Amino acid sequence: MRRKSRLGLIGSSFAMIAGLLFSVTPGLLGTSVAAAAPQVPLNLANEQGMLWPCSFNPFLASSSPYSVGVTYETLEFVNSLQSGKVTPWLATGSAWSNGNKTLTFTIRSGVKWSDGQPFSAADVVYTFNLLKKYPALDANAVWSVLSSVTQAGANKVVFDFSAPAVPYFYYVAGQVPIVPEHIWSKISNPVSNPVSHPIGTGGYLMNKCTPQNIQWTANPHYWQAGKAVVKTVNMPAFLSNNTCNEYLATGQSQWGAQFIPNIKSYYVAKKPGNAYWFPPVANVSLFPNLTQAPLNNVKVRQAISYAIDRPTVSKIGEYGYEPPASQTGIVAPTFSAWSSSAAVKAQGSSYDPAKAVSLLKSAGYKKGSDGIFAKNGKKLSLSIITNGGYSDWVATVQVIAQELNKVGIAATVNPIASTNFYSDVYAGKFQLAYNVETGGPTPFYELRQWLFSKNSAPIGTAAASNWERFSNKTVDALLNQYGTTTNATLQHAIVNKLQMVMVQQAPVIPVLEEVDWFQYNYKQFSGFPTASNPYAQPALYNMPDWGYILDNLKPIN
Amino acid sequence: MIALRTLGRRLGSVGRFLRRDKKALVGAVILFILLVIAVVPQWFTPDNPSAEAYTPGVGLSWSHPLGTTSFGQDVFSQVMAGTRQSVFIALIVGLLSTVLSVVIGVSAAYFGGWIDDLLSMFTDVVLVIPTFPLIIVITAYLKSASFWLMVFVLVVTGWSYGARQLRVQALSLRNRDYLLAARARGESPLYVIFVELLPPMTSLIVANFLGAALYAVLAASGLQFVGLGNINSQSWGTMLYWAQNNEALATGLPLWALAPGIAIAVLGSALALLNYAFDEVANPALRPVSRRRARRAVRA
Amino acid sequence: MKFLIRRVGFLLVALWVALTVNFFIPRLMPGNPAVAMMAKFHGHVNPAALHALEVAFGVNSHESLISAYVQYVGNTFRGNLGISTSYFPIPVSTVIMRALPWSLGLVGLSTVVAFIVGTAIGAVAAWRRGGLVDSVLPPTFVVISAFPYFWVGLLSIWLFALTLNWFPLLGGYSETATPAMTWSFVGDVLVHAILPAFTIIITSIGGWILTMRNNMITVVAEDYVKMARAKGLKPRRILWQYAGRNALLPNLTGFAMSLGFVISGAILVEYVFNYPGLGFMLLQAVQNEDYPLMQSLFLLITIAVLLAIFISDVATAILDPRTRSSR
Repeated sequence: MRRKSRLGLIGSSFAMIAGLLFSVTPGLLGTSVAAAAPQVPLNLANEQGMLWPCSFNPFLASSSPYSVGVTYETLEFVNSLQSGKVTPWLATGSAWSNGNKTLTFTIRSGVKWSDGQPFSAADVVYTFNLLKKYPALDANAVWSVLSSVTQAGANKVVFDFSAPAVPYFYYVAGQVPIVPEHIWSKISNPVSNPVSHPIGTGGYLMNKCTPQNIQWTANPHYWQAGKAVVKTVNMPAFLSNNTCNEYLATGQSQWGAQFIPNIKSYYVAKKPGNAYWFPPVANVSLFPNLTQAPLNNVKVRQAISYAIDRPTVSKIGEYGYEPPASQTGIVAPTFSAWSSSAAVKAQGSSYDPAKAVSLLKSAGYKKGSDGIFAKNGKKLSLSIITNGGYSDWVATVQVIAQELNKVGIAATVNPIASTNFYSDVYAGKFQLAYNVETGGPTPFYELRQWLFSKNSAPIGTAAASNWERFSNKTVDALLNQYGTTTNATLQHAIVNKLQMVMVQQAPVIPVLEEVDWFQYNYKQFSGFPTASNPYAQPALYNMPDWGYILDNLKPIN
Repeated sequence: MIALRTLGRRLGSVGRFLRRDKKALVGAVILFILLVIAVVPQWFTPDNPSAEAYTPGVGLSWSHPLGTTSFGQDVFSQVMAGTRQSVFIALIVGLLSTVLSVVIGVSAAYFGGWIDDLLSMFTDVVLVIPTFPLIIVITAYLKSASFWLMVFVLVVTGWSYGARQLRVQALSLRNRDYLLAARARGESPLYVIFVELLPPMTSLIVANFLGAALYAVLAASGLQFVGLGNINSQSWGTMLYWAQNNEALATGLPLWALAPGIAIAVLGSALALLNYAFDEVANPALRPVSRRRARRAVRA
Repeated sequence: MKFLIRRVGFLLVALWVALTVNFFIPRLMPGNPAVAMMAKFHGHVNPAALHALEVAFGVNSHESLISAYVQYVGNTFRGNLGISTSYFPIPVSTVIMRALPWSLGLVGLSTVVAFIVGTAIGAVAAWRRGGLVDSVLPPTFVVISAFPYFWVGLLSIWLFALTLNWFPLLGGYSETATPAMTWSFVGDVLVHAILPAFTIIITSIGGWILTMRNNMITVVAEDYVKMARAKGLKPRRILWQYAGRNALLPNLTGFAMSLGFVISGAILVEYVFNYPGLGFMLLQAVQNEDYPLMQSLFLLITIAVLLAIFISDVATAILDPRTRSSR
């Protein structure tokens, strides 16, 4: 099984560009709809290794990717590819007040649920209080910071937070799908009762579902005129990557979210209009266990970072699809505007084996006759654990281990079955772990996941993030300060300081950049996001992004 | 002494049989060659099998007789290096499960009574539990399977058919005159079993060993192919895992997937040919062989 | 009567062992389906949500082993197999029922075909011992049966689907077809089944050939067959009606067992061909640590095998009185 990127990122960028585009050219969008010939259905190719459950609960990880954004909509769309650019969706706008502890949304009027009932602010209040009542549904942990959600007047919803919570806007506005109170209040157990016929406000309605295929049809009464013009959308279930890739390569699918080996000859060359774009969104990193020797020594960690020839790792382990990462933690080009030149300068060349050797020597290590460094008779040998279910990660870590061995660090690769891998990572049972964080609409999110001491836990107890167990009061204060401000200049200054921490202390060692897997055919459908128009995250497992994109696609001919 | 002579006579007849039966000879020669490669793979691997050091995706060439993988590893060297694990798994699992089959099957037959009832019941229960699903479940629970873990799982699930077969044959021998005579002389059970009872069963025991070894090869490669083995190790099943995950067949690197598959097929065929030949030798003593075939056809 | 009691006794003991093994394996091993569900999607791991999910899944609960065991056995007998954690919140029984027809159809039919063809070849080979059929077919298929199934599947996909484009590549039916009892859908299903069925048949036929051949050789040497020949009966009649019938009897148990195994699907064939049957489902349950699904599938397979063997034992006993005393 190849690795999928994470679900659950919000992508929102569609908002800005799409908003601009559509407001400028409404006629173009509104007229091309009614063609005489039956339209070609849009077939999606996204291997999940399972048959479809045919339940569409938007709050559960097993079903949310097939409902959030498509059938259920969020309050706003937050674009992770454009530093969190916001576009109104079910809300027309929002404002912080009370020292950034209160967030007020203005709810859109005139929106209808797909069963014809009117949508209102009461549904929003109901949805959030549902998450409070059933924590199993609160996948984004919004109630860890919320204190209350109440309606004010006819169309306002007020969110009160227990502390300044600016970054939580992303989760509250962009990640929580709004469900209809008149339906959900009648479900006896919203966690365990299947949702077979989802009723939402979105552009697409689930038409029929078999274990092998989900079919959506355009919502005929969609509230956004001129959108959702592709009539039929199919998502077949693929049990393995090979079969899914073949489905894409033979032109049966026009939108894929796949890892494809040798993509140029295998996919692009097969059919005119086939194209791909892999936008980076987060880092795949080595997490060193900071609680034990030798990785509690900053020089050893820096030596590891300098010893890895990241372009080679990218080329061999990932066919070059995942670009080399930076020790500063800033994902380029997606977040290049956030990059601190001071931190980049302090790091110097990212691949410098001579510097790695001198760092190890200055840490008291001496090279033995076998070419491996040792201190006090103890060899510098490290085990790297990774998810054995992801063959590309194992291949990547094998290259990393070869690189480390070249400078005299005896590294071994230890692939572990998926769930056990995550249990070990969360509990801190590793020396080095190769894993990915979820990130978010600005670099702050990933840095906070990495470095905030409250995200961590003692060894043996599951940590939500910060698996390396980094703890630093100054850094905590910086992270908290970011949450209190909406001032972009101040936010950039804080992120600059955090990058310097990444370089000087190397608490995490980013190796490659996690990308969105995305293939599309631009001769059959138009409106896909591209590098020059990154209006939403394009991979089919990103919600609500892919539903947001779907609303904007148009058939050609 | 008598025991050794009997055993020698038996082995001598095995040698004569190999010379006479072409199928057996072909199987034996292949097995011998693979065994040599398994013991000293370094004589046959021109390149470091795991080094990702060459141009990825090269076809047939002098420097890479079977091309390279998409990671730039030499396929020929990988096949050679993978021989060890597959051959060793076959031999070790074959040996251990045969020993277990002999111990349980023969003691059941020899001692009879409630011991037989108990052991037979136990054998039958293990026999009907679906093997391959059980292996999958066990290896999954035990995290990814190391070499010895895989051996353990395959032995635990693979001995029962042989035990049943051996019990049937031992039962038919138990009341022969020479055995009764040995007992009447007051020989110890161990003496009777090892000197009188086992030697006539040699060909069936060998056939069992071959069957268990074949089962081990196929089951182990199947597990490795779906990623339940240690995917970081060198074996044919693991090579197939990597080839499949990188779509070797669809991306124009068919040798990467063909070579390890052929290697498994060659090893399997060698064992099957020998087994086929030994079956013929063992058959007169053994009538219904029905369950055994069903076992061998594990839906791997 | 004694025979029947022994067989029923065995059935019950084996069932109890399977049930118990099934109960203890997951409890002895590490792992957590709630983590698996969240990890599968690289989702945010929210400790509160994780805990709530664990409660919903019933993991990490602190009830005693014995009471859990009693509850498990009771639930199993009532047919309450729990909720699948990877298909949450769909009940295990629903998930299994969706996959069952595919395995029954594909693997069941292929097993029957392989058995019939293999038995026929085996009978003919033994009848004309040393003849052309005997010297070519049995060794060939015995060698093929030593090939890894899944690899034969990969090869046939490569050859017939990718290179020659004769057959569809994957799945039980065309991706976007709607299951219905129409000719076009049935045809679609059949076309999709050809390659996987071919793979199963050619790799499993060798076993049937060999067993039948061995049985036939024994039977042909029996007095009543010699007698029939001496009486000058037509060879064809002796082959099928005298010898064949008796040689087939001991094979019934083996056939019953492999029919029982149909329930497990041809795990790797289904995996390679993306075929939506129970075998694939078992692998997928393993990968997602879906204990309830895994346990139920395993139990179902065991029960199917046990029942098949029981029925064949009883049938053989009725057809052939000798078996009753020989046990």
